Amino acid sequence: MIGQSRVAELEMPGAAVEGVSSRPAQSYWNESWERIRANRVGLAAGILILVFALIAIAAPLFSALLTHFLPQTIDLDVTFHPPGKPNWLGTDELGRDTLTRLIWGGRVTLGVAFLTVAISLTVGSYVGMLAGYYGKWVDDILMRLVDTVLAIPAIFLFILMSILFRPNPITLAIIIASVGWGGVARLVRGEVLSVKERDFILATRSIGARDFRLMLRHLLPNVLPVLIVSASLGVGQIILIEAALDFLGLGIQPPTPSWGNMLTNAESYFFHSFWLVIWPGIAIFATVLASNIFGNAIRDAFDPRLKS
Amino acid sequence: MTQPLLEVQDLRTVFTTKDGIVKAVDGVSFELLPGETLGIVGESGCGKSVTALSIMRLQRPGKILGGKVMFKGQDLTRVSEYEMREVRGKEIAMIFQDPMTSLNPVFRVGWQVAEPNRIHQGWDAKKAMTSAVSMLQRVGIPSAASRARDYPHQFSGGMRQRAMIAMGLTTTPQVLIADEPTTALDVTIQAQILDLLRTVNKDFGTATILITHNLGVVAGMCERVIVMYAGKIVEAGPTKDVFANPKHPYTWSLLKSIPRLDEDRHEPLKPIEGLPPSLVDLPSGCAFHPRCSFKVERCSRDVPALLRVGETQLAACWVTQAGTELKGA
Amino acid sequence: MLAKYVARRFLASLVVVLGVTLITLVLMDRTRGTYVPGIDLNPALRPEDIARLRADLGLDRPFYIWYITWIWGVVHGDFGRSMIDGSTVMSHILDRLPNTLELTGTAILIGVLLAIPLGIVGALRRGSKADHTMTVVSVAGFAVPQFWMGLILILIFSVTLEQHGLPWLPSSGAFSAVNGGDIIDRIEHLVLPATVLSFFYISTWSRFIRSSMLEVLSQDYIRTARAKGMSDRRVVYLHGLRNALIPLITLVGLELPGLVSGGLVVEVVFGWPGIGKLAFERALQYDYTTVMGVTFFATLLVIAGNLIADLLYGVFDPRIRYA
Repeated sequence: MIGQSRVAELEMPGAAVEGVSSRPAQSYWNESWERIRANRVGLAAGILILVFALIAIAAPLFSALLTHFLPQTIDLDVTFHPPGKPNWLGTDELGRDTLTRLIWGGRVTLGVAFLTVAISLTVGSYVGMLAGYYGKWVDDILMRLVDTVLAIPAIFLFILMSILFRPNPITLAIIIASVGWGGVARLVRGEVLSVKERDFILATRSIGARDFRLMLRHLLPNVLPVLIVSASLGVGQIILIEAALDFLGLGIQPPTPSWGNMLTNAESYFFHSFWLVIWPGIAIFATVLASNIFGNAIRDAFDPRLKS
Repeated sequence: MTQPLLEVQDLRTVFTTKDGIVKAVDGVSFELLPGETLGIVGESGCGKSVTALSIMRLQRPGKILGGKVMFKGQDLTRVSEYEMREVRGKEIAMIFQDPMTSLNPVFRVGWQVAEPNRIHQGWDAKKAMTSAVSMLQRVGIPSAASRARDYPHQFSGGMRQRAMIAMGLTTTPQVLIADEPTTALDVTIQAQILDLLRTVNKDFGTATILITHNLGVVAGMCERVIVMYAGKIVEAGPTKDVFANPKHPYTWSLLKSIPRLDEDRHEPLKPIEGLPPSLVDLPSGCAFHPRCSFKVERCSRDVPALLRVGETQLAACWVTQAGTELKGA
Repeated sequence: MLAKYVARRFLASLVVVLGVTLITLVLMDRTRGTYVPGIDLNPALRPEDIARLRADLGLDRPFYIWYITWIWGVVHGDFGRSMIDGSTVMSHILDRLPNTLELTGTAILIGVLLAIPLGIVGALRRGSKADHTMTVVSVAGFAVPQFWMGLILILIFSVTLEQHGLPWLPSSGAFSAVNGGDIIDRIEHLVLPATVLSFFYISTWSRFIRSSMLEVLSQDYIRTARAKGMSDRRVVYLHGLRNALIPLITLVGLELPGLVSGGLVVEVVFGWPGIGKLAFERALQYDYTTVMGVTFFATLLVIAGNLIADLLYGVFDPRIRYA
């Protein structure tokens, strides 16, 4: 921190004894894991996401055992029921139970988010590796494509595509990922370019490893930290985009509940039923907040230099 | 005896880190005479830079816990921040190790060299710039008037260090602290910069504290030298005496570890065993004892004081203070 | 040097623009088929009328012919006519543009003006209560959905205040339809949407300035500046800020397209008659000449924004050279 300032290395041979360190040698992954564990807030955020994900997966169970409603069950006798028994978080304009819809909505929202991340990462890292590894015209073409995709204001692209596809959760994930892969590709390409020239890649090449094997076995592990960081930071953004598209009526279509589309009609009712606006918003907010905090923790853990 | 210009007495500076408190400077005392060049030498992390920064009160985030820095009748550790600003850059100037990063990249070199006079003398831009250009010329920058309009990145490393020196000298300070001024430079440029510092010292009469880890630089530049180890002074004295007849095993091993061109018989080079100690967890007794080949039982128990050993030198070593000569091994 | 750089960037941009319009068109073409918007709403139309309409709109031609015609028009400043109301796309854009610029321009301005001082305070008083508060607020700013924040603000400042007979803020439109349109009226309408938008900018940029400032303050040249004996204020605001602001230029430059598209969701929530809302509504109605016009326009802004940011970077950072 101090004294050991930025004096490059000491010219005195006395200090140049190598390989002796007071701390035990730890691998990069172990150290990163240690740093995540040491970050209490980050860890709590990660656990929260895990809990949300588990609840989403177990949605039918919650319906059957806890709330005793199904998300599409309409009961016109109890429209706009305020929070209380038996609808703990109230009901909407068709008498559907808000808590049940939130739980099922989380299933859709989180599912779409994770699927989007998976698609973006797969496509993006593949394109990035191709461009970075082969260089030349392959690189030129792929990167111009990335430039183009990223130059279109994303929201317009989403609008156009969702009109085209009338999304279900899977197509919606594809739509959002159709922009998301571009950034990943750029990132991976840069990383590959820097890794490519290192000795061990040249060594592997010289023993005649085939291109594909080389990429998969040697380049991928090296770009993995970048991918993990970008994935964990991306989840929150994707949930926000997905919610916005649902809200605009361009994403998940009713009657399938999602946190975004539960808010679509809220404007018409919230002067008497504020809870219709509050709960889905808090669900989105809490999830995105937790993802961002967890994402930051991951980033700090994998790249301590970037720590803010 | 001449009155010292700057007197450092029992200076203590600590840093609080998450591993514990680091005593970067631990009871350092020395004086600087007018016009002399004093060398402070030691491995990185020994506290030599922090000592210099503490004199300027720029040691943040470190804290000066105690001691005095007497300069012109006042204790610099106690004057107000405002008074300290009047000393910095005006009475005591400092130049740093890495000229690549020590100049602000977004301002023109001339502007930066002119800045001290604008702050301290209240000169207008034009007057300050004229003096900056002439100073740049004196430190050996060709066509200084036009180079002054360049940005730092357009200067080479050596040129930047010259500009740094010019910036330090525009206010004709009485003390110039040079913290590893040549470490980041090529060998040939190093020689030129050292030459310049020597000329500056002679022509301006500026007393210079030269901080370095390079014993060769000390030998060529300094009348007196201070050797630091783990935050403390372990040996001090006239350079030629210290080099000819070191009174501390650390100095002795340092000299053994570098090639000497001036000696007839060529002994094999001997690196110092072990690593510099962690400043958080210092060894008991003399901090050097785990690496010392002369150590006696007492060394691991009691901390030796810096006392006169021989005619002209001071050393903090139980062995030499007891009269033993450092030889062989 | 510079001219060459700009020219090269311009050529690269041209490729991107062509790509963008092509992607847009393919998507629109796949979407529309040979559908003429509104055609099924008018039972009086005879088959020959429909054929004539299709021919008028160019829908009887293959899409690549249509595309070449369209590009030809664009090069000559003609964005074509809306498929729905027949007025020129340009007139639609020009009609909505001032509203959008009013909203997003205000938000970006407020964002910059508040983010810089907040970021500096955060950096200088790192770890203080003020810093922690700002961190929490801006972390929240990243996580709150804009449309939801809009709804909540409407709920509080329009609905609830009105219900309690207190002065309330309008929640829809850029001005009142009746007796509206003066400056006070416009500002009243502007408050809520601009708050939502600028909250996001403040969150992002203040964090950014803070970390940029912290990084700069740890640099060697700041130590040099202190060693020259200047006041903290001069060190921070002259030597520090000048360096810390350079990266912000890029960030704000990248936000330039946000002038047009960034406010889309907010425009929809607040019924703000801007370009984003136009694109959204027209896309739902398959008015693809209009959508293409707006998309093209917004893409130009993206490219211009990047270029302007790069050039400004060169103005403020002497180390940058264009080669």
